[in-house]
Amino acid sequence: MSAVNVNVDVHHLTRVEGHGNIVIDVKNGELVKCEWQIVEAPRFFEAFLRGRPYSEASHITSRICGICSVGHATASLRATETALQVEVSEQTALLRKLLFHGEMIDSHVLHVYMLVAPDFFGAGSVLPLAATHPEVVMRALRIKKLSGDLCAMIAGRHTHPIAMAVGGFNHLPTIKELLAIRERLVAARDDMDETTALLKTLPWPQFERETEYVSLQKDDEYAFIDGHVATTDGFTYPLADYRKVTNEYMVPHSTAKWAKHNRDTYMVGALARFNNNYDQLHPRAKAAAEELGMKPIVTNSFLNSAAQAIEMVHCIEDSIRIIDELVDRGIEEEPLYQFEGKGGEGVGSCDVPRGILFHNYVIDDDGLIQGANCIIPTNQNHANIEADMRALLPQVLDQPQDKIRHTMEMLVRAYDPCISCSTHLLDVEFV
Amino acid sequence: MTASTPARPARRNGEGSSVVSPAPLQDTLILGLGNPMRGDDGIGVRVIEKLVVHALPQGVEAAEGGTKGLGLVNLMEGWRRVILVDAANVGLAPGEFARFTRQEARLLGDDRRLSVHNAGLREALLLAEVLELLPEEIVIYGVQPAKLDWHAQLSPEVEAAVPGLVRSILGELDASARAVSISSAHWNTLTKEQEEGNHGE
Repeated sequence: MSAVNVNVDVHHLTRVEGHGNIVIDVKNGELVKCEWQIVEAPRFFEAFLRGRPYSEASHITSRICGICSVGHATASLRATETALQVEVSEQTALLRKLLFHGEMIDSHVLHVYMLVAPDFFGAGSVLPLAATHPEVVMRALRIKKLSGDLCAMIAGRHTHPIAMAVGGFNHLPTIKELLAIRERLVAARDDMDETTALLKTLPWPQFERETEYVSLQKDDEYAFIDGHVATTDGFTYPLADYRKVTNEYMVPHSTAKWAKHNRDTYMVGALARFNNNYDQLHPRAKAAAEELGMKPIVTNSFLNSAAQAIEMVHCIEDSIRIIDELVDRGIEEEPLYQFEGKGGEGVGSCDVPRGILFHNYVIDDDGLIQGANCIIPTNQNHANIEADMRALLPQVLDQPQDKIRHTMEMLVRAYDPCISCSTHLLDVEFV
Repeated sequence: MTASTPARPARRNGEGSSVVSPAPLQDTLILGLGNPMRGDDGIGVRVIEKLVVHALPQGVEAAEGGTKGLGLVNLMEGWRRVILVDAANVGLAPGEFARFTRQEARLLGDDRRLSVHNAGLREALLLAEVLELLPEEIVIYGVQPAKLDWHAQLSPEVEAAVPGLVRSILGELDASARAVSISSAHWNTLTKEQEEGNHGE
């Protein structure tokens, strides 16, 4: 790769959350710079939490992300419940899992169809895609409507899970509602099959780079809530030791903290869960994986989006199973937790759509939060994104600069990074 | 691209266009958009908090739309009219607001800068339009913000705008509720009701 000059400077990459820049500078075939820069102002949710009653934490943190509000609320509740030694009932655990599946599908379908698919269809965004392939986008909206309604049934409304409380739910779905959603979940199998068929036709970029994959793991199920931390390098940790995994550090070109464990970088998200917990996927999800030619350990980061589609199949099937169990048991009103005047410290963890998430709270004997630490998945992926960029660059250096830029953008988008839940201020021009 | 390009299916026109199944249209949804943890971006949610304690006319619902981005397409679907409340750069002083329909203003943005969150109302409306899922009537209340940083309160200027916004929206609902009752009333009482309505203003 001699006498090659490449200068890629993508400011505020499109179709990812928040503000991230790709900067690549190659002079005479020599790599001068290859950086994944984060230029967001840091968020201050930890400061928001200090001094607030424990019961508000899940409501505050569910605002960190409009897409992962259930994920944050659940991790927050688990941290609080661990700190206050609150046991949750079987019914609460089942309803939380079902709600979590709803959000997982909701987030994955947006990413796969609205953000990733346009790249493969040569469309700049989902808008032209909707014009040329309305049936593809309508399918996405159909799946999304189902997952949104599933969430609203349990969480109380479509936006922000108000029904979730420490120790349980203050609103419960009826058997009738559960059965109505069940019927739609069964009907959604066709859309899942179509999704797998669509993804199978997409020309996924060929790229392999081995890394360490980190996720939650449980003995008895494909883990999304609770469990222990597991990595493909063979490490396991109880949740309380999460800092031994994340080892956060600062880099000059990022306002976000980065993370590393056994290697220089690690990856979290759907692909990490797939690689760690493949055996526990529903048979239909495994069939989808086989259809897509995926078996662990998959080391092509682009296939994170395909792993998301496989997880959607799993979540649809597991939701049907959970509803059957709830209908068999019957839904019962349960007393809510009452604070007993004794604080404590606790770690809660969920594997949310973008990867493993940790909340860690210290609560005093008045029930006020004295300290909080939240480590979001995207921050754990930043170092791995940059390492992927460095590994991929030499392989594409002979291509036109525009193509290099586009491939790098696709790589970053595959991670579904959520740099910020930015505001969406409307800019209006009157006509 | 190796995927074949399927033919564009026949599109349904007009009423009943729906993602799931044609359902009867509900009348009016008021959606408050934004994140209450980001200062004045919380104005939409604040207005909804105030509206839900009022007895809203039949067929009207008020809900938080949060930062749903493209998910707004699903939320808006099935409603005849959607009234949106959001922080917006409408070229006014902080706390002042403008009411406009979709035809009266251009929502500025770049289609390539589209993400789940960065996709806001503008993108959701464009997507709904392409897919013929757009409600018949879209009304937007754009409130000029003073501050949009990570902060759990509205600025005093924007907080002061809340009663006026609630009044305007309730007034708009009243007017249309009256219009509906007029249209369904007997012709011979039409003039009388209109007169009463005018006197009541």
